[in-house]
Amino acid sequence: MSGKNEDLISCSVNGKTISVPKNTSAIKAFKIAEQDIAHYCYHPGLSVAGCCRLCMIEIEGNPRTQIACNTMVTEGMKINNQSKQIKEDVQWGLDFHLLNHPLDCPICDQAGECGLQDQYMKFGQYKPDMNQKKVKKAKVVSLGEKIVLDSERCILCSRCVRFTDEVSKTHELGIFNRGDKSEVGTFNGKELNNDYALNTVDICPVGALTSKDFRFKQRVWYLKKAEAICTGCSTGCSIYLDYNEEGFFRVRPKPNEDNNSYWMCDEGRDLYQHLNKEKRLVKVYPSKKVSTSNFAVSSSSSSSSSSSSSSSKKAIKYLKSELENIKDSTKIGVLVTGQYSVEDYKEFFSVLKEKNSINQIYHWFDQKNSKNDFDDLLIRGDKNPNTKGLLEVAKDMSLKVIDSSELKNTASNLEILIVLGPEYKKFFSTIDEKLEYFKQALQVFYFSSVKLDSLDSISNVTQIPLQSLVERGGTYINYKGLKQKLSILPQVIPKILSFSQIAKVLNGEKIQLEPLFLKTQPVKDNQFSFQKN
Amino acid sequence: MFTISEKTKKFITKEVSRYETKRSAIIPCLFELQKDNQGWISNDCIESLSQFMDIPSKDINEVFHFYTMFNKKSVGDFHIQVCCNISCHMNGGLDLFKVLSDEFKIEKNGVSKDSLAISKVECLGSCGTAPMMQVNEKYYENLTKDKAIQVIKDLIASKKTN
Ligand code: SF4
Ligand code: SF4
Ligand code: FES
Ligand code: FES
Repeated sequence: MSGKNEDLISCSVNGKTISVPKNTSAIKAFKIAEQDIAHYCYHPGLSVAGCCRLCMIEIEGNPRTQIACNTMVTEGMKINNQSKQIKEDVQWGLDFHLLNHPLDCPICDQAGECGLQDQYMKFGQYKPDMNQKKVKKAKVVSLGEKIVLDSERCILCSRCVRFTDEVSKTHELGIFNRGDKSEVGTFNGKELNNDYALNTVDICPVGALTSKDFRFKQRVWYLKKAEAICTGCSTGCSIYLDYNEEGFFRVRPKPNEDNNSYWMCDEGRDLYQHLNKEKRLVKVYPSKKVSTSNFAVSSSSSSSSSSSSSSSKKAIKYLKSELENIKDSTKIGVLVTGQYSVEDYKEFFSVLKEKNSINQIYHWFDQKNSKNDFDDLLIRGDKNPNTKGLLEVAKDMSLKVIDSSELKNTASNLEILIVLGPEYKKFFSTIDEKLEYFKQALQVFYFSSVKLDSLDSISNVTQIPLQSLVERGGTYINYKGLKQKLSILPQVIPKILSFSQIAKVLNGEKIQLEPLFLKTQPVKDNQFSFQKN
Repeated sequence: MFTISEKTKKFITKEVSRYETKRSAIIPCLFELQKDNQGWISNDCIESLSQFMDIPSKDINEVFHFYTMFNKKSVGDFHIQVCCNISCHMNGGLDLFKVLSDEFKIEKNGVSKDSLAISKVECLGSCGTAPMMQVNEKYYENLTKDKAIQVIKDLIASKKTN
């Protein structure tokens, strides 16, 4: 947006004078002026529908009230929504929305983040004058693998319909019948399974569309949200991770105009599972060779996660001594995926370079999709969040980058192969091919935060756990060079070594094991903040 | 899959060319299709029309469900539409509807043994000759109960002789 004065116009919202760009709708002006305005159907990422009739305003000089989402601000316009007339309009509007609403909040997954609840608490009249019977509609309609529809809860804002028409362009949803019989649905049993379908759950202001994966797992007021990025592909959508002391529960897109707008793909929503205990590599799995050597990880201590840091430390110390025994650095291979942060790479590579004269890395990229694949919305063929970052770090440190397919020729010469494995293994379609290379090298040290079961049967592989991406934090550079920084969240699995600790051990320095453990704060403050008047 | 007749295809192409957007032609096209398919529209019909017009099927379904003059189920050989709007109502339209339903044992939303279907409709623009009804494409005006029953009996008979 340019700041040139001729592109700005001034107007006043509830008496507050503001400047807004030309072609700003009145509802946006309310947001800019930080004034409350009721609305359901308006969504900044979709076209204007003007069907909920809640965003009522008065414009000085106009005799009648009108809606804000479909009104463009003009120079000097004086808008307000504070009069008694407007307040009554909104109250009645809300009561009409509730006319056929089942009010089954106790069993509705949206409760706590429901537009109907929130807006009624803010703008409602609390003593409804309606006594008509409610129209019964379809409940628990499965719309495919991911989404459930409850038509009675739907307030017919048409956001979901506009999403499938305008954003995913898949046209599954429509509003059928009319008047109070109107219902959202798909035609002829078609399923809502497009790659972006779960965004309709996010934008549905009520509990009409809910996610099969998330529903009934948690009440949303017991969740905290943290900002992060999705590492499912090189787009690196901005996301919210919802979590509490029991773990991570869901992923939602965080609006980011420079990158993913208001959306994310459905595949990326699985990210949270890879952060939880069930999918994690929680302890060292020593190779057959290691367990018979002097690296003693007794079975009793290695099975409990509390000792995973000391066994990791032992495993890395062992790696250090093995590396020191190899005089010819071409006998050491380093195989890296683009799933780690710039800081992780720097830390890890610099110690290997300094201590072991490593001057080349194998880049594990190959997967079924090509790097340039793009679905014209968000999903990219490069399933690594930080390919750019990896290549930049390698360049800065003058490390030669070799395609991992070259291991076909070199793996059998390697005495040690160090791997920074995928963290989102579903996206790596060539894992089996890599396992063949692993078998050819003398010893493999495989680092990852995610457990890859097929490694267990390979006798020369030692698996060492890493912190998950949100435990490590760091900078990721997406396909177009956008740098995004991940902040560090509480650890799901305590006492896993960080990259800098690993680097220190490799460097022969002492490390403190304890202070890393950050316990999550229980979510206590869930009191309602709404009070009438 | 339902196949759209060549004649209807021509109609659709011509109709579409009359409007700024293809969507505007959905109503006349549905009417034409309804005639092609014995007076009602099936999901198959909508699917075919969607393919031919290159409009998402749900868009057509939205229009289809909004209007009552498209039939969602088979209406048999004879679709009796009894006007029950003001003028006809005042002149016994509702009675006419009940008498015909009983006489020929036609259930709501169903098709009778004689392949009859019946519905109440709003004003058909023939108030001066109330009460009236429309059977398929034809108007029958200034009706009495007996007259109406006779009309239907004749229609059933005419079908048998054909
Ligand atoms: S299902 Fe939700 S998003 Fe879709 S129209 Fe209904 S209330 Fe709006
Ligand atoms: S498009 Fe890529 S970055 Fe965005 S949510 Fe999907 S997988 Fe994640
Ligand atoms: S937000 Fe303006 S009419 Fe719905
Ligand atoms: S009221 Fe029946 S034709 Fe007008």
